[in-house]
Amino acid sequence: MVNNEFLEPFEQMLGEVFPPAAVRAIEAGASDTGGGEAAMQAVEESGFLDALVAEDAGGAGLAIADVAPLWMALGRHAVPAPVGQTMIERAAGDSDTDKRANANALLRAALIAGAAGRLLDMAVAYANERVQFGKPIGKQQALQQNLAVMAQDVVAVRLAVELAASKGWPDMAQAATAKSVAAEAAPRIANTAHAVFGAIGISAEHDLGLYTRAIHRWRLEGGAETLWSRQLGAAVLASTQPSVDWVRETLF
Amino acid sequence: MRGLAEESVADMSLAQRSRSWSGFDAEFSRKLGQAGLLGLTLPTEYGGGGRGPFARFVVVEELLAAGAPVAAHWIADRQSAPLILNFGTEAQRQKYIPAICRGELLFCIGMSEPGSGSDLASVRTRAERTDEGWRLNGQKIWTTNSVHSDYMIALVRTSGTSDDRHRGLSQIIVDLKAPGVDIRPITDLAGDAHFSEVFFDNVELAEDALIGEEGGGWQQVVAELAFERSGPERIYSSIVLFDAWLAHLRGAGRSDPATTALVGGFMAKLAALRAMSLACTGQLAAGESPVVEASVVKDLGTAFEQALPLAIGDDLAAYPDEPVSEELQAALTFVTHIAPSFSLRGGTREILRGIIARGLGLR
Ligand SMILES: Cc1cc2nc3c(=O)[nH]c(=O)nc-3n(C[C@H](O)[C@H](O)[C@H](O)COP(=O)(O)OP(=O)(O)OC[C@H]3O[C@@H](n4cnc5c(N)ncnc54)[C@H](O)[C@@H]3O)c2cc1C
Repeated sequence: MVNNEFLEPFEQMLGEVFPPAAVRAIEAGASDTGGGEAAMQAVEESGFLDALVAEDAGGAGLAIADVAPLWMALGRHAVPAPVGQTMIERAAGDSDTDKRANANALLRAALIAGAAGRLLDMAVAYANERVQFGKPIGKQQALQQNLAVMAQDVVAVRLAVELAASKGWPDMAQAATAKSVAAEAAPRIANTAHAVFGAIGISAEHDLGLYTRAIHRWRLEGGAETLWSRQLGAAVLASTQPSVDWVRETLF
Repeated sequence: MRGLAEESVADMSLAQRSRSWSGFDAEFSRKLGQAGLLGLTLPTEYGGGGRGPFARFVVVEELLAAGAPVAAHWIADRQSAPLILNFGTEAQRQKYIPAICRGELLFCIGMSEPGSGSDLASVRTRAERTDEGWRLNGQKIWTTNSVHSDYMIALVRTSGTSDDRHRGLSQIIVDLKAPGVDIRPITDLAGDAHFSEVFFDNVELAEDALIGEEGGGWQQVVAELAFERSGPERIYSSIVLFDAWLAHLRGAGRSDPATTALVGGFMAKLAALRAMSLACTGQLAAGESPVVEASVVKDLGTAFEQALPLAIGDDLAAYPDEPVSEELQAALTFVTHIAPSFSLRGGTREILRGIIARGLGLR
């Protein structure tokens, strides 16, 4: 799932279509970008919007597990256009709303995972580069400990997404697991990144805000940790199984 | 497997079962050995199961979920036997591993000393060469289960001084019945005495007490810690309490949004942690030593274990009209009081975060 043959061309395409300047312009709703329509047109031409559509219906027929890394790549590029949403609509447009809602929750979790990974890379690089008190700020133990916690959150979110994506179109429990873990960790991840960067990260010119704004948006879209945890918890309490049995049978 | 676990806990109270992997029952460990459930990762030629880390994961998970008293075989099965397999001579493997797999030989870990906790490389206990082998002097502390154990694998200095740090350290297998070994139990704040001080006064050991390379002790310990830090026991220390609380909620018929959100949030975390621990297990199975990844599992896992009793206490206190069984109350009290130790034993939270920071390239 990690070494996915589609990932490299997809990332390359995202790099061309959604450089930070384009992300800013789309976010700002600039009229010459048509709110991202031109960018979406470019993605359309790449064929990736049909990734989840069955092969006999003219799509690529990929599984959710193959597409999840692409969704994370969208997050890494803070893509503000509905690329993942369109993939889901095209493959599940006619089916019930639950199927789409669950897939969209997993999508948001994957987007958060991608952006979170990017934020960690940026924060670690900056911590090694920015000098105060005569040494890189990353040499300060307080910062090291905060970045270690951030790394843990990033790993947990990624593995929750991979787990939820591993068995085809996600059901409620899978979607809720990924979205609950991702949404709960998202603000901590964004806040640590901002703390490391200091004031420069708050400036409009700096790219950090592209990812932290996106992470907050994806956290809330379609319900954050409380909404999804409620659904998961209701299912757990409605069963009679102990926790480990339930987790093993429902999610693994 | 499940039958055996359930049978073993049938007469135990909930509070006893919430002792989790500190619960000691040598008889139960021997039964597991007879049933072929110990040494699952070890080769069959040494009496092991030859099944690999995933089989062990499943068995360990089952035992922890039941609250079975696993302490007797725990350390030998988890880390001493793999250590002896990796670094021991053929004779040492034959001497120890088959008996470990039968659940008959119990081991403890002698790393910490009064002056050496997090700064493990500063240990002062010393083994000197003699004509017959080794002479051991010094002291270990917090050694879990040493009172019941047959052997300790101790990290000691075999050359140089504390200033030499990682150089000059070796691992020695200490026969705890040897003359000159004095073990004095320490009682913890919950009233249990699972760990001890262990004193060595001119303890004479044979040549084959050295395990692995002389001077290679530090590398061996680091490899051992990857086994010690990544397993499901770093997620499940509060699982018996969690399940008792779930049973309470079901019995009380609770389905309000605050309760379901609380339960679901913990469940989602549990699933993510299990996926992370399994990923480490996969790395161990591939022969890797996931030191950084294991630290991630342990720090996040123990945070989960520590959050549970606090949230459960708060939840039960918020529904004062709901009767709470004495059993649940006792388990809650025990886990609440002992939970701070979860992020001390096996390396503190701060030290683990330092290891992760090094993995990130910050140190
Ligand atoms: C229940 C239990 C069972 C145990 N079983 C065993 C066992 O079987 N065998 C064994 O050998 N040991 C065992 N231990 C000991 C355990 O490994 C040590 O407690 C642990 O390594 C910490 O050492 P310490 O307690 O001396 O604390 P210290 O090292 O003195 O640390 C005290 C505080 O200072 C912090 N600190 C220290 N150095 C740094 C640093 N560089 N940066 C930031 N913070 C720092 C620590 O994180 C901690 O918060 C056990 C402990 C417990 C609680």
